[in-house]
Amino acid sequence: MAPYTNIPLSPAELSYLHTSLSQQPPLRPDGRSPTQFRPLIAETDILPSANGSARICFADGTEAIVGVKAEVEKSRLAHTVPSNGEAAGQGVLGLGKGSARDVGDEMDVEGDESGGKGRDAWLEVAIEIPGMRDDDALPVFLSAMLTEALLADGGLKDRLWINSRFHWRLYIDILLHSQALSYPLPLLSLTTHLALLSTRLPALVSEKDEDPLFNDDWEASTYLYPPTTTTQHQKPPVTLLVMSVGATILFDPSKQELAVADSVLAISAAQSSTGELRMVALRTIDPPSRLTAAGVPNVLNTTTGATGAQTLSAADVLAMREKDQGQSVWRPPRGGVPRALVAKMIKMVVERGGVGEEVMEGLANVET
Amino acid sequence: MPLDSSIYTLSALRLDGRRWNELRRINGQISTQQAADGSSYFEMGNTKIICTVNGPQEQKRGGGRDQSNEAKVEVEIGIAGFSGVDRKRRTRNDKRIQEMQYTISSAFQNTLFTHLYPHSTIAITLHVLSQDGSLLAACLNACTLALIDAGIPMSDYIAACTTGSMASYADKEDEADPLLDLNGSEEQELPFLTVGTSGGEDKVNVLIMETRVQMARLEAMISVGLDGCKQIRGILDGIVRAHGKKVLQSKVS
Repeated sequence: MAPYTNIPLSPAELSYLHTSLSQQPPLRPDGRSPTQFRPLIAETDILPSANGSARICFADGTEAIVGVKAEVEKSRLAHTVPSNGEAAGQGVLGLGKGSARDVGDEMDVEGDESGGKGRDAWLEVAIEIPGMRDDDALPVFLSAMLTEALLADGGLKDRLWINSRFHWRLYIDILLHSQALSYPLPLLSLTTHLALLSTRLPALVSEKDEDPLFNDDWEASTYLYPPTTTTQHQKPPVTLLVMSVGATILFDPSKQELAVADSVLAISAAQSSTGELRMVALRTIDPPSRLTAAGVPNVLNTTTGATGAQTLSAADVLAMREKDQGQSVWRPPRGGVPRALVAKMIKMVVERGGVGEEVMEGLANVET
Repeated sequence: MPLDSSIYTLSALRLDGRRWNELRRINGQISTQQAADGSSYFEMGNTKIICTVNGPQEQKRGGGRDQSNEAKVEVEIGIAGFSGVDRKRRTRNDKRIQEMQYTISSAFQNTLFTHLYPHSTIAITLHVLSQDGSLLAACLNACTLALIDAGIPMSDYIAACTTGSMASYADKEDEADPLLDLNGSEEQELPFLTVGTSGGEDKVNVLIMETRVQMARLEAMISVGLDGCKQIRGILDGIVRAHGKKVLQSKVS
């Protein structure tokens, strides 16, 4: 899982970084505030041959391009289930309708005949990272995480339904152009969000269960996520990386900050049609800080002439090391996250005027 | 769908409205990515390519130490699934891609001053974002720009383009006009070749033809191709100079 096993920081440097980050207010190495993101360059609708596309460049030079392509596919017979049946909406991942939708959302799609007919298999996410094979752990894990968020959103796969015999199949190809300098998940997720926002499907001309016929005028095509003049419309999910150090919560952590993280969460939030953000997926990520080398207390360090290692019993040495956790020398963090902290992290993302809303608004203003 | 060439005999205009010796719109940018040593973005009509260069650097892959006295040029081409009309994922072991990688690497091995960097590698990565004909030619041009951005000394630009021959039947020998810079639909129907030169039209570095053509037409195709390479060299030079001017201005002010 960990993309970097060799973090080029000494125990002393890690300890310094940990201390400065756990202060109130925290001191980040690049002087940002806890919720501030690094600057980025974004553009959408860059490719003529894709239904939707976007490119994002982070300030550290990492760059991703996402192309969304849709193809019409014949639905297999096994997929045609009655629209009021229990099985509808239960996809191959088993996320189903209930996992993602609350009662309020059900009311919204009542008039829409495609509600609940989407299948998980209609969406395919592929990630390409230079120097890595397609079946390496990192691309597979990242694509699973992004797919999960997109499917849990619910609305997306229902939009791919054309009629009872045909559906759209959506391919999301994600290319990471540069070496993965920091954990690439937020970059890939933001780029996918932008690409989906710009995705258009040809307008349907045929009716009901006929073989689908489309309007060949691209100007008449419909957006997968139709934009409205107000900010209140459905939007694809974004996955944000949130880390904690002590009681401090930091957004958009850099590589150095991740090296001292107590815990890292990937929180996916999507906007519903009422303009409210809600969490659609959550994953804990094993932070690379767990793989850092621990420092040795001075009393035990034989190179400084201390004889503690010989005189003390094994139990005493262990106790000393455990008590010293993050105090005088660096110790890799262990254990889980307090539930209150997780709740606080989620709240900071989804609350009104929170970080998630700010990110969505920023991305919505990207010009094509 | 067969190419409709009936208009050509009447008006001497191709499907996209060009005459036989016209290039498509060519556009390029240098230094598009900060993380790489050199990078470029190159457009030839609807063929769009991003190229990044890393190196010269110590060889990373492979167990044994590289004992050669020259830098090795490694090329990796990734064709994005969304680049064509239909979505298609290509594996890295695709024979066609491997051949293109070899062609590009051998062309630059001879043009770059590789003897200045013993025991090292120059890694070129090409991402094809959109393809509409002249893929190899566009890749070569993008590589030239990225290698210049990386500051690797080379004897001259490699500029490449494709040429085709209009009628593909022997009985229309007199209407067989050579065509410059084919697009995707023309490339599927007509015999074509890719030519890459350095130093204007002095030295041919790359000449590849995978289709059949009457021997008598070849000379005209190659001479049109050489002329096209000269034009492209001028365009590449313009891109490099414009970038240089921008860099200098930002340094001064």
